[in-house]
Amino acid sequence: MNYRLTDKAQPLLPYNKKDDQPLFMVLVILAFLAALTLLATASAYRAAASWHDNLAGTVTVQIKTSENTNKAGQDIAEQTKAILDALPYVMTVTILSPKHSKDLLKPWLGDTPLPDDLPLPILLDVKLKPDQVLDINTTVSLLSSAGIRADIDDHSQWDEQINRTTGTARVLSLLALALIIIASIAASIFATRAGLTGQRRLMDVLQQVGAPPTYTARLLSTRFALSGFRAGAIGALAAWLVSVLVGLLFSTSGGFSYFLPGLNLTLADLYLVLAVPIVLALIIAVTSWHTVVKTLFGEIYP
Amino acid sequence: MWLNGVKMSRVNVNQQKARPKITNPEQIQSPELLAKSNPANTEFANVQFERVGFRYDRESEILRDVSFSLQPGSMTFVTGSSGAGKTTLLKLIYLHMRPSRGLITLFGQDTSQIERRSIPALKRRMGIVLQDFHLIDHLSVFENVALPLRVAGRKRSDYREDVLGLLKWVGLGPRAHALPPTLSGGEKQRAAIARAVIGKPEILIADEPTGNVDDDIGRRLIRLFAELNRLGTTTIIATHNMSLIPDGAHILSIKDGHITGSIHGTDI
Repeated sequence: MNYRLTDKAQPLLPYNKKDDQPLFMVLVILAFLAALTLLATASAYRAAASWHDNLAGTVTVQIKTSENTNKAGQDIAEQTKAILDALPYVMTVTILSPKHSKDLLKPWLGDTPLPDDLPLPILLDVKLKPDQVLDINTTVSLLSSAGIRADIDDHSQWDEQINRTTGTARVLSLLALALIIIASIAASIFATRAGLTGQRRLMDVLQQVGAPPTYTARLLSTRFALSGFRAGAIGALAAWLVSVLVGLLFSTSGGFSYFLPGLNLTLADLYLVLAVPIVLALIIAVTSWHTVVKTLFGEIYP
Repeated sequence: MWLNGVKMSRVNVNQQKARPKITNPEQIQSPELLAKSNPANTEFANVQFERVGFRYDRESEILRDVSFSLQPGSMTFVTGSSGAGKTTLLKLIYLHMRPSRGLITLFGQDTSQIERRSIPALKRRMGIVLQDFHLIDHLSVFENVALPLRVAGRKRSDYREDVLGLLKWVGLGPRAHALPPTLSGGEKQRAAIARAVIGKPEILIADEPTGNVDDDIGRRLIRLFAELNRLGTTTIIATHNMSLIPDGAHILSIKDGHITGSIHGTDI
């Protein structure tokens, strides 16, 4: 077998698909997991921020009709609205329809039709003026003095719960990413050592002709980094497609996503996904370069 | 073949004074790049061993109290039976391993004081030929020979003609594009020699370079080494085949890790 002498040098490292395939597959899986973790975390953050924004500056007044038997429900609602509207720090007060109250039960009861005479509480959504706080006790007393027994929820507990959940998600996602990075580093070190062993003759000859370890390291790390970039791109693309599919599933499913943040992808998410192959290639390049230099440097004039 | 017409036999000292007969001088004319080799630094010996010993871990010494020097431009044969310590001695010269004791001076530098990161640069001043050729099977003969220049960062366009010229000189011009597995033993060894000298080394070290070829090709290879030595390269060759050593050569005899004889003859 002959090679034609061209102006381009033959690659010193032969490409052996059979040998490179296992590492490539591992890197694809790691990139997929990394991209999926990033997308899920970003979506969770966005949902939490959205919930927080919705809750901030609002309170919900709940009037149980069973505890206000002396007045008709609509009258109580109107009277409560009038009292709250008069408060200086209140911007708007909206009486929520019975249908809205029924919808709030859907996560627990599903689409089961509810009887019309179900004693649902009357709900009023109160929006406060910017940077204003509603004193719950004072307001309850005020309503009470008008003969209205009401509970007021400023959502602080719910908001706190969201913050706590978001914090947990942040820690878990960072942990998952750290594990993926460690796995990438370990896979890279393993593959580099296997590469050094598999190409022992080439390594020996390079040392014999005076190639410094950095020269050999550049050869191997470039090869692995390119492989890592390709694997990262495939894994990240797969994660993006899966996220799109899951997002579609969420948007079309009935009660499936009541308590889960939807996977609504944005342009920023695409940047995150695009960063995966670059970061993976960088991690692999640095790790394999360091492994080769350390190994070969130890072999010089032992 | 590059030495067609050159009658190779055991050459005596008197014949060596004159150049061997060459019926076709163009075939043995060294390429320009070798003729332009840097002249060896003659201020100090290229290699100096002073009471050098070597042992693997706690085993008994393979080399004991070895002392000798290789003067610039000299040609030396290291002889001895298998296991005498020839390969170990060469490995110590080309910095493959450290001596257990004694002092080795290479290009005027005490090798025990040389930093590891400086070793590759020192290796580039040496050309090494090993018995099993050490060619890279997936690289063509051209690429194998060009490897030291590629490692040194030379541009392909700069070294292409040099490599082709050298391959022609060693008789591998038509095989430049062949892969090593398709070469004969003699062709492989000539490719290995070409790779060893393409970087214009100051010292050429060969460990049993004729070990895998028949005597006829072995003599031709020794002539090739002699020609390279004539161009100024300090040459040291380990061989157990005494019949290949030209009369008058400097011979270091090793037995059981000791240098038992150092015969200085006329230069080849």
